[in-house]
Amino acid sequence: MSDAAATLTQDRQRLELSALSAPAVIFTVAMIAFPVVYTIWLGFQSFSSTGKQSFAGIANYSKLASDYEFWHGLWITIALYILALVLQLVFGVWLALVLFHAKRLPGIVRSMFISPFMMPPVVAGMMWLVILDPSLGAANYILQSLGLPPSEWLASPTWVIPTVALIDSWQWTPYVALIVLGGLQSLPPSVYEAAQIDGASPFKTFQRITLPLLLPTIVTAAILRSVDLLRFFDIIYITTQGGPGNASNTLNVYGFRVGFEFFNIGYASALMLTLTAIVFGAVLAFNRLRGAVAW
Amino acid sequence: MNARMFAARAALPVVAAVAVGAQAHAADFDWKKFQGKTVTFLANNNPVGLALLTYKADFEKLTGMTLKVDGYQEQQMRQRLVTVMNARSDEVDVFMTLPSREGEQFAAAGWYADLSAMSKNEAAAEYDLAGLSQALLKAGTFNGKLTSMPMNIEGPILYYRTDILKKCGVEKPATIKDLEAAAQKIKACDSTITPFVSRGLKPAVAYTFSNMLHNIGGTYMANGKSNLCSPKGKQTLDTYSRLLREYGPPGVVNYSFQQISALYRGGRAAMSFESSNELRTVMDGGERLKDTGLAPFPAGEAGQVPTAIGWGIAVSAYSRQPEAAWYFVQWATSPEIQKRMALQGIAPPRPAVANDPEYRKWIDAEPVRKEWQAALDVLATKGSSEVGYPIVANPQSREFIGQAVQDLILKQKTVDQACAEADKALDALIAQK
Amino acid sequence: MTDAPTTDRWIRYLNLLQLALAGIIILAPTVWMVLSSLKPSFEVTAYPPTLVFTPTLENYVQLMKTTPFASYAVNSLIVTIGSTSLGLLFGIPAAFAVSWTRVSWPAILTLAARMAPGTLFLLPWYVMFRQVGMIGSYTALILSHAVITLPIVIWVLLPSFDGIPRSVYEAAQVDGCSVTRILWRIALPLVGSGIAVAAILAFVFSWNYFLFALVLSNGDSKTLIAAAFNFIGEGSTQWGALMAAATLIALPPLILAALVQRWLVSGLTLGAVKG
Repeated sequence: MSDAAATLTQDRQRLELSALSAPAVIFTVAMIAFPVVYTIWLGFQSFSSTGKQSFAGIANYSKLASDYEFWHGLWITIALYILALVLQLVFGVWLALVLFHAKRLPGIVRSMFISPFMMPPVVAGMMWLVILDPSLGAANYILQSLGLPPSEWLASPTWVIPTVALIDSWQWTPYVALIVLGGLQSLPPSVYEAAQIDGASPFKTFQRITLPLLLPTIVTAAILRSVDLLRFFDIIYITTQGGPGNASNTLNVYGFRVGFEFFNIGYASALMLTLTAIVFGAVLAFNRLRGAVAW
Repeated sequence: MNARMFAARAALPVVAAVAVGAQAHAADFDWKKFQGKTVTFLANNNPVGLALLTYKADFEKLTGMTLKVDGYQEQQMRQRLVTVMNARSDEVDVFMTLPSREGEQFAAAGWYADLSAMSKNEAAAEYDLAGLSQALLKAGTFNGKLTSMPMNIEGPILYYRTDILKKCGVEKPATIKDLEAAAQKIKACDSTITPFVSRGLKPAVAYTFSNMLHNIGGTYMANGKSNLCSPKGKQTLDTYSRLLREYGPPGVVNYSFQQISALYRGGRAAMSFESSNELRTVMDGGERLKDTGLAPFPAGEAGQVPTAIGWGIAVSAYSRQPEAAWYFVQWATSPEIQKRMALQGIAPPRPAVANDPEYRKWIDAEPVRKEWQAALDVLATKGSSEVGYPIVANPQSREFIGQAVQDLILKQKTVDQACAEADKALDALIAQK
Repeated sequence: MTDAPTTDRWIRYLNLLQLALAGIIILAPTVWMVLSSLKPSFEVTAYPPTLVFTPTLENYVQLMKTTPFASYAVNSLIVTIGSTSLGLLFGIPAAFAVSWTRVSWPAILTLAARMAPGTLFLLPWYVMFRQVGMIGSYTALILSHAVITLPIVIWVLLPSFDGIPRSVYEAAQVDGCSVTRILWRIALPLVGSGIAVAAILAFVFSWNYFLFALVLSNGDSKTLIAAAFNFIGEGSTQWGALMAAATLIALPPLILAALVQRWLVSGLTLGAVKG
């Protein structure tokens, strides 16, 4: 094959490959370009409280800086994010190990273990709302039957964030476990054999060998969960709508309420864009981290 | 000049104009005028909306129009409405609205079509505009524009267990002080019962709180400033939060109608201060039918000034067929339909319907219904439609009232701190233009 | 020495115990929900919670009678299948191209849509679809849900394609195959389980998403999940019907999960490690 012919083939190849990813790219741009531009424009508009619209410059963004609810929302978002992420990663790895060692578990049983994340979050929220009701729900009944003090769960400003984190973890820990399980199954058996010959205890094996090898997988799971957790919305929308007080008013919930309950679309747009920037920043940071721990 | 034009031009007082306009074309009112058109109705799936829609087929038969219904639960309905209106879309012709909540805001944004003229000139003879509750019509009028027609009348009322009150030797409370004393006695007499329950959920508090504030004689605003730190404002904040803290269920700060009704219906609360609309939910299963008494909220220093509001039905300012839309609105709020809705337990915003023999028969069938109607009569005559601050940003004002009450229930602040913080935030909201 | 076997047995017991514990925590709420849906409506919030009761289908009957449940379900199916197909149609070639070229920005671009809060899209999309008269159409919903399914398909498939040895492609090229032909004839059959997983996950996430349907659909095209809110309105809260609806809505994804669980583990495996 001559050089010219090879270049020709390569050019054609590149063209074909571009053509293959073109539909996805064009579709995505078509769907998100307008919303993003439109939202940026809205963010510079003032709707006052009457819905009358006017150009406001950066008024919405300077309002953001002095808005207590924004900073509080940011704090709540981060607190909930860290709490839920840690819970899900720790228990996700644990559940993955348990499932990994239960090799003879029938498929149908195994699928039950991963069922919660298949359930619509709206349904999960409604279900937990009923279970956790302080006076009517089953959760407090069980606690009291066991001689434990009842909790106010979602109704306590102190406990609402941990409770929401628990609900979310109930739903998404199996998802993390599934990803980690995949990582476990792809580890070469030889590393365990080496450890066994050395006579290392199961715990040591996990700490010294399994965990480091699993890190890239765990970081992947962390990225996937971060994208959702930083935009936490569904379960709070169903259960507390940001309450009690503003104890569970995450940025996404706050932005939603400003736009659709108080009808201030301009300020809501500024809030949403800021949140998007935060999520984007977190994903970039994690991506670097993954590069650092990859093997 | 035909009769209708005459009615439109003559500068007669409101009621007279109605009479003339209506009589003048009573015979030739053409329900089929918009035959073949399709009207889209954004409905709330609450009992009011659902009761109305059971007669959808009748409307279509009467007018030859098609009614396209898009029904949602309140919050989702509002979300959709905000989107549609912000996009200035003509997709929705008619929607349900709460004038007491969003009326001023929607009116200022120009989302309502003005119904003043159509309600006078384009109404069938039997429509009887003057027969609708004047207070509710006024509550739906902003800057001289009639923005929605009342569909029902409702407000928070006290549901109480006659058997528990009797057992604990308590009389039906006549004043707010009595109520608290009764709650105290019930707490001592039966520790398994929640003595008193009402709304604690932040955005929902204003509905019941306003009733107590007005009974006590307080006002939300004085001299253009927020007035929660006035003696009466503080007294209301203190009493409302104390009642829920000392005698309410655990977790009351998340309580709105769902939980309150479930608790009372389940026989676990002695007194419940909740919407009159919840009667059906509370009576579900029939266990509370024989042991429940109903009354307007007990009097304060200013007597009884119950909260009385209603759902309204409005025509969108962006509708491309406001007249056809109005046909649906007038049908939906006509005496005939409101009577039929009343028989389904939707309290009618027309005094005449409330006295209709057929409706009376329905009322008399159960003692509970009688007390319910009696309480609603008080609401209709003495009620105030002010729920939260009478300002454009009313929905947001409710947040701060709710926040102050929650801070007190949870003992996170003193009354002085809570009211001062709320006043500060509300003054800023009032100043906002 | 009998020490080692004993330790092994203990470890096995310990593992079983942990398995049981995890199982109870994971399954109990769902079981409770299903049980609640079989109680008389007002017994759902009875306290203390009843464990022994006469099961009734009254909630399900009520559900079918008062809501066009079946037609909502059909809407959901159309939207979900439509958006999943669209996601696969655009996602498979894109994942293949990204894997081949190692140029990852198209994959990251599709993910960007997932980083913005869903509420950000509501008003703009309404305005956009309004312009072309598609509000209330299945098309609008399918397109909006494809924004969710597309990145799932791409990111799940990427590692599957990465797992195919380069030599396979090179051999095909020597035989004169075009890139597109290599994708359809050679690569696709090799990533079968990956595609199954991508399709299932896309289906589940699309089925479960409610926000877009609230503004882009209307009375006729409303999806099941958007209609689920209707059971908690003032004066009409029906806990029993709500739990029945919740059970029925959660059923399709759960059945799917059960059907494909084996692939799910192996498919995600590849995804996680290499992704």
